[in-house]
Amino acid sequence: MTTLVQEIEARLAGAKAESAWQSIGVIREIGDGVARVEGLHDVMLNEMLDLGHGVTGIALSLEESDVGVIILGDHTKLLEGAEVHGTGRLLQVPVGKGLLGRVVNTLGEPLDGKGPIASDTAYPVEKLAPGIMRRRPISQPVQTGIMAIDAMIPIGRGQRELIIGDRSTGKTTICVDTIISQARLNAAAEAAGDTAYRPLYCIYVAIGQKQSTIAQIISVLEESGAMPYTIVLAAPAADSAASQYLAPFAGAAMGEWFMEHGCDALIVYDDLSKHAVAYRQVSLVMKRPSGREAYPGDVFYLHSRLLERAARVGEKHGNGSLTALPVIETQAGDVSAYIPTNVISITDGQIYLESDLFYQGTRPAISVGLSVSRVGSAAQMKAMKQVAGRLKGELAQFRELAAFSQFGSELDAATQAKIDRGKRILELFNQPQHDPMPVEIQVALLWAVQHGYLDLVPVPRVKEYQTRFVDHLTASCAELLKHIVTQASLDEALTAELTKAAESFNAVWA
Amino acid sequence: MTSAREIHRDAARLWRLSLAGGAPDAARIRQITDQLIGSPHYRRLAVLAEYVRRLRRDAADRTATVDSATLLDAPARAAVEAGLARRYGRTMATTFRIDPDLIGGVRLVAASDLLDDSVAGRLTALERPFDWAQGRSA
Repeated sequence: MTTLVQEIEARLAGAKAESAWQSIGVIREIGDGVARVEGLHDVMLNEMLDLGHGVTGIALSLEESDVGVIILGDHTKLLEGAEVHGTGRLLQVPVGKGLLGRVVNTLGEPLDGKGPIASDTAYPVEKLAPGIMRRRPISQPVQTGIMAIDAMIPIGRGQRELIIGDRSTGKTTICVDTIISQARLNAAAEAAGDTAYRPLYCIYVAIGQKQSTIAQIISVLEESGAMPYTIVLAAPAADSAASQYLAPFAGAAMGEWFMEHGCDALIVYDDLSKHAVAYRQVSLVMKRPSGREAYPGDVFYLHSRLLERAARVGEKHGNGSLTALPVIETQAGDVSAYIPTNVISITDGQIYLESDLFYQGTRPAISVGLSVSRVGSAAQMKAMKQVAGRLKGELAQFRELAAFSQFGSELDAATQAKIDRGKRILELFNQPQHDPMPVEIQVALLWAVQHGYLDLVPVPRVKEYQTRFVDHLTASCAELLKHIVTQASLDEALTAELTKAAESFNAVWA
Repeated sequence: MTSAREIHRDAARLWRLSLAGGAPDAARIRQITDQLIGSPHYRRLAVLAEYVRRLRRDAADRTATVDSATLLDAPARAAVEAGLARRYGRTMATTFRIDPDLIGGVRLVAASDLLDDSVAGRLTALERPFDWAQGRSA
């Protein structure tokens, strides 16, 4: 205690009471969450402003005679003629591992009632994306635990993969399942004391969603034990448009901390369609000129500067990565609308979900033909590449042949075999929600189907076969599964073991 | 349809015509105002409103308010006025007021600048970081 008193006395002795001129402003107009402020001659773009009554604003538009300010908080307390003070700080949010397991708002303030955020570092919300020289090629996989994605549309750490589809087609489910899969992998590596495994932390940014939906997602994450590795940043529909506009940038700042500190992070922007709408609202009330569909001219730059912040950086620059999964909601399957085409062109691929497939019972309802991953295959595990390399082509062939066979004509044996194989693969890809599958199981199953071990299984019984085969593998071939993970490729010895396991199972399967 | 930009442009042009030697000239302002009011142009009122806004802002830029806990004596007032004239390069219309809530010291607002050397101001400045921290823990 004496040391503490001495320390305080020393700091008091060193402290100088100085007053300095500071620029202030006066609120001239206020409404729709936006204020016009006169004065503030030395204000910076995106500087945080103290509007009084504990309300913060952001200087978003610096004009000749006044400053356009977006208000974060309750603007009903503010009055015309009130003083506005600059803070000299750009908008920043707390960052670090102290945020894991927490639900926060756009300013990084807790919403979960679990006390203060344990963080002494803050990052600016707007930051330039890492440049060319800071980046490294993408070579490490993100295991989503969703077989259709891991096999055919693999995602790498540092990639931007768009998830696009109509309403209620399972976009959020894919994101949540990916988060759950990371949590399971992180927890398993921790339990096994595997220091070589790089944990992947997740940030879920909810933009313009219903509070009930966000609450449901949080409860799913909690039930599946994913919250300790996840940050939820909520800017629900009830929040101001300004809050919704800034939320993904705040999430990106939180993710960048992991990237710059040797960790890997994954950020989900759910969704950028609502984000574009929020930005359009802010721009219109700020009286900025509007363009196509009334979006402002810089709506492309809005998303490109956000998504460019996802990267895998070199060892000198943090040796981490930030993977982005932006979500876009289409209207009646129209991927050629303004915002979807913008985001498609920015990202490194897209997972397209089709309503028709969803209602036919395919879950996840991924359209194989329209989905692509431009960089992820370089990061795919070699064993997965060996079993899934030809899968996309085979499925495309299957769809063509299946369409042809609907005319009821006689088919030759080879064509019929291709159709039967395709049906079984599609059945395998059907996966219940919130139940990600480990990659070694995926490899074993795909190997079995590619080598004809499911050819005699009737299609309606494929799921039953899968369940029992997985039980068989985990119960009696645990070593084999471990080898698939550690060796990461299928050599002759592993193939022989897989053959033995599949044959022994098929002998008892009926 | 008249854009806000055109109104701003016209008001700025009229405002420049109102200045004589860098300062607004009362005779020119009256003449411009009379001509605007008498003009048949449909956007004259919008331009006049913007013109008056610029006039008001210029007047605010030439005004200073000094609040103090106790009444400042004549030499102190003169020193403040001289200091303001030196800082802004022109004579500022200065108003002196008494505000006991300041507890001690002075609070000076000139143009869009603030110099808060009052006890209350310093206490508020001390409180601000704590408010920020409390906001985080809400």
